[in-house]
Amino acid sequence: MPPVVGFVARRLGRAVLTLWFATTITFLLLRLLPGNPALAVATPNMTPQTQAILLRQYGLDEPLLVQYGKYLWQLVQGNLGVSITQSVPVTDVLLERLPWTLLLTGSSLLVTVAVGIPLGVLAATRPSGLLDRLVQVGGVVGQSVFVPSVAIALLFLFGLQLRWLPIGGAYSPGVYGGQWYLDVAAHLVLPCVSLVLVQLGSYVLTLRATLIDSLGEDYCVLATAKGLPHRKVVWKHALRNALLPTTTLVGLQLGFLVGGAVLTETVFAYPGIGRGIYEAVTQLDYPVLQGAFVLLAATVVLANVVTDLAYGLLDPRVRTQ
Amino acid sequence: MTAAGIALDQVVADQPTAASATWTAFRRNPLGLVSLAVLAALVVVAVAAPLIADYPGGYGPAVLTPPSGQHWFGTDNLGRDIFAEVVWGTRISMLVAALSSALAIVIGVLVAVLGAYFPKVDTMVGTVVDLALSLPVLPLMILVAALAGPSLATVVVVIALFSWPEVARVVRSQALAVVRLPYIDAARLTGGSWLWIIRRHLVPAVAPVIVVSVVLTASRAVLSAAGLAFLGLGDPNSWSWGRILYEAQQSGAMSSAWWTTLFPSLAMLALVVSATLISIAYNDARNPRTREN
Repeated sequence: MPPVVGFVARRLGRAVLTLWFATTITFLLLRLLPGNPALAVATPNMTPQTQAILLRQYGLDEPLLVQYGKYLWQLVQGNLGVSITQSVPVTDVLLERLPWTLLLTGSSLLVTVAVGIPLGVLAATRPSGLLDRLVQVGGVVGQSVFVPSVAIALLFLFGLQLRWLPIGGAYSPGVYGGQWYLDVAAHLVLPCVSLVLVQLGSYVLTLRATLIDSLGEDYCVLATAKGLPHRKVVWKHALRNALLPTTTLVGLQLGFLVGGAVLTETVFAYPGIGRGIYEAVTQLDYPVLQGAFVLLAATVVLANVVTDLAYGLLDPRVRTQ
Repeated sequence: MTAAGIALDQVVADQPTAASATWTAFRRNPLGLVSLAVLAALVVVAVAAPLIADYPGGYGPAVLTPPSGQHWFGTDNLGRDIFAEVVWGTRISMLVAALSSALAIVIGVLVAVLGAYFPKVDTMVGTVVDLALSLPVLPLMILVAALAGPSLATVVVVIALFSWPEVARVVRSQALAVVRLPYIDAARLTGGSWLWIIRRHLVPAVAPVIVVSVVLTASRAVLSAAGLAFLGLGDPNSWSWGRILYEAQQSGAMSSAWWTTLFPSLAMLALVVSATLISIAYNDARNPRTREN
């Protein structure tokens, strides 16, 4: 078997295992917690007969293992249950919202990388310079800040005081054609910048640290010694190797990023899954909450598989491990 | 006793202990000291909350007034004093952070140390930790908190339940290195039980990592608790920083009155930044290589 096939198979197997893990703990938590769905469905003032009928209808009277089997089988078919408040399949509710969350998290990742690479390079090539100090302070503060605090500050300043940007939602009603894209972009700016601000710090700090390590390695010393311009040593030689661990970090932080997106969407009334979670919380719509977690977990796992595979293509060492 | 033996004793006695060397180095770091002072001040505020401000319960006639001499941090949409809310919020936020991180540390260290000592357990521990860390934790916390019903205990348990894998990851990598050292083999050869070896030899060796973990887990717990509260899943009967933000967002006050959100945000930032800086300063002070310069 060629090593590439083994590598891909291992990564896919891992992804499936992660998804199984996520769905299984969800199932167990839902069944074992004090507020279990049987109690949520059946209220005390129902007659025992009505309760029994309801429980049977939801399949909650069967043994746990049977319920678990059915639950997994439904998940495989993409069935996440029915929303209690909206009486439509959870999958429909969430798939409508997913593109907005993907747009928000995807664009914030792109901006973080696009801003983070030059910042990291500048900080690493002039250690202890003014910019480097700023980056270090900003890195610590960025990691420590509460996402809604940043979001609210941006909303207040640029949305309400300066009135440069829209304060909420993802688009304005009644805008079509080319204007629509501009409108969506304008609505995206503040939520996206909020997420960029909270994740840029750790990205730049990691890149800076690995880049300083790379620059001290023999191959970079050699490249400098043979007369290569400094700019080339940094961008072509050191950065390439430093980007790999940094990319892994981005993959590891996707779960955190999704959490940030949930809070940001809540502040900006952005119609993604996060805002859906917020609304489901106020209405105690458990199937939606459960479905949102499963869907977000699946998205993160899928994104990790893609980065892993891309990583494997870029770096032959990974494939043979 | 031979002369050489006495001389050796002398040398050992003159050597500063690791803890005092770390503390000496820590004291030379101004950022670390300032952070320690900020953290201490917050602890004092948390403990002495009843002495500093009245419990923010009663509605006042002055609704959404900006900061003034009477209301240092202004008032919220129901005329309650935000300074009092932040002061009492310090108490709950730090309590939640301390309790949930303590619980997470106990579980995480236990899992990590047992895993490091028993290779068979470790395969499972490693897999579970890796899997748990790759999942989006906040949506999972939300699901559980919503099911269990909002209360202080729920928040603490939920945060601990999903924070220990991070502790386990950090402690485990250190413990795995320690277990391979010869002195652990020696301890085994003396016939000590595994419990004794873990308690007396393995846990002390990873203690510095645990210290850093406590600080970082607690500060992250502050943010998680605030996140839950911001979505309406905090304890509705006690003030926390997250709840102040939640109420400002619910009432729409956040868009007209900047003081309703700025001050709790600053309090949170002060706590988390100082905790982070303390752990960085401690790490630097502990490391003989960075200690020299």
